[in-house]
Amino acid sequence: MTLTVRERADTLGTLRYASVHAMETLAAWVPTTPDLEAKILFGRHIWEFAQHADQLGRRTHELRAALHYTPAPTPAYDGALALLRSTAGARERISAFHDVFLADLADKYADYLAATDAFLDEPSVRVVERITADLRRMTADAAEARAQRPALTGSGVATAAALAAALAAARPWVRHRAPAAGIAEATA
Amino acid sequence: MTTAAPLHPALDPRFFADSAARDERFTVVDRWVDCARFDDADPRKRLEFLHRQMNEEVAVCENAARSLVDHPEAPWELRMWLARQAADEARHADNYRRAFLARGGRLGDYPVLSFQYRVLGRITSLAGRLAVQNRTFEVDGLDAVTHAILEAEADGDADLVALYDAQQADEVVHIRFANEWIRRLTAGRPAVLLEVGRALALAAQGFAAVFTEGGGTRVHKYGVAEELRAMAGFTEEEIRTAVALNEERRERARRADA
Repeated sequence: MTLTVRERADTLGTLRYASVHAMETLAAWVPTTPDLEAKILFGRHIWEFAQHADQLGRRTHELRAALHYTPAPTPAYDGALALLRSTAGARERISAFHDVFLADLADKYADYLAATDAFLDEPSVRVVERITADLRRMTADAAEARAQRPALTGSGVATAAALAAALAAARPWVRHRAPAAGIAEATA
Repeated sequence: MTTAAPLHPALDPRFFADSAARDERFTVVDRWVDCARFDDADPRKRLEFLHRQMNEEVAVCENAARSLVDHPEAPWELRMWLARQAADEARHADNYRRAFLARGGRLGDYPVLSFQYRVLGRITSLAGRLAVQNRTFEVDGLDAVTHAILEAEADGDADLVALYDAQQADEVVHIRFANEWIRRLTAGRPAVLLEVGRALALAAQGFAAVFTEGGGTRVHKYGVAEELRAMAGFTEEEIRTAVALNEERRERARRADA
């Protein structure tokens, strides 16, 4: 059974929340990460997530939600995002963000494509396809930054494993609204 | 690892916040007089310039990124511009890094300043930051890059000409969005003008403290890039004023160097 219009808006809006969080996380890390190559990597990717948030926020408006509708996720997923943000050290930050968070985000977009109707929800599908291509490029960028600077500074406190576990445990991660009175909608 | 280097004792902490983090390859200094300064004929001058520009682009990236974090209440459209600027400046830094390494440089060969990041850290108003970073520092950079293009052309360095040319186009965009948004923010809340005035005064004092000793304010090689300023959203009156002030400054510098 495919997602309803309301569920599509809730899911894309929550992905917008994750994108804004990612943008702000990278922005917070740029001044506080010592390594030049990591700063450049994070700085370039800030704009990627801003664009994703913008595209998702425009699409939610087309799905009977507000322009730039950004619902908070479930507490478990929000906690995982907070853990990501708390990561220190250039090496640990790239590992947590580009190896773990991006992989999980790509899975979430893949799940969306599998769950929605590719024809009825084609505008969302196009947005998601463009975003997933960006995520693949960002992962490749991280590999290049690591090659440029093999001796990335570290904090000694890795969060990647804990983050992977927190993301895996955060199911469900979208907080769906109840159907609105007065709007007839399909049954999922 | 270098993080939050202590401020030079000669500088007033009212004008300078903590520095941004730099890794162990870099020596962070606070004053222009402590930077590596070479004669025009010295081949290290061009290399040091690339290294310095790389660091300055990183600083602007850091400032745009910090404003994104510090001002979540800003309109989404403005936040998008800050994100775009952060990414552009990161790309510029990478361009300079590559150009510097390709010409035989080694990262950290020369001291780097933390001036822009430290001064902006003492300005909390977003309009104030835009006025100082984008409408002042970036505009000065526009004039300097215009001069650098001519120098690179004279040297026959086509790669550098292309780098400067692309960067200049990006900087015009950053200045223009700042001009537009300062006007919009001011129209919505006239007190913003006071914040801008305070920010500019603070930056001017910080600039003088860092650059006066060692002759960093005695620049008279290049004038105002008038057409580019017009593209960046300055009014004709603002451009006329900038040209007059620049001429006065250059004349003072010429007399001081005579």
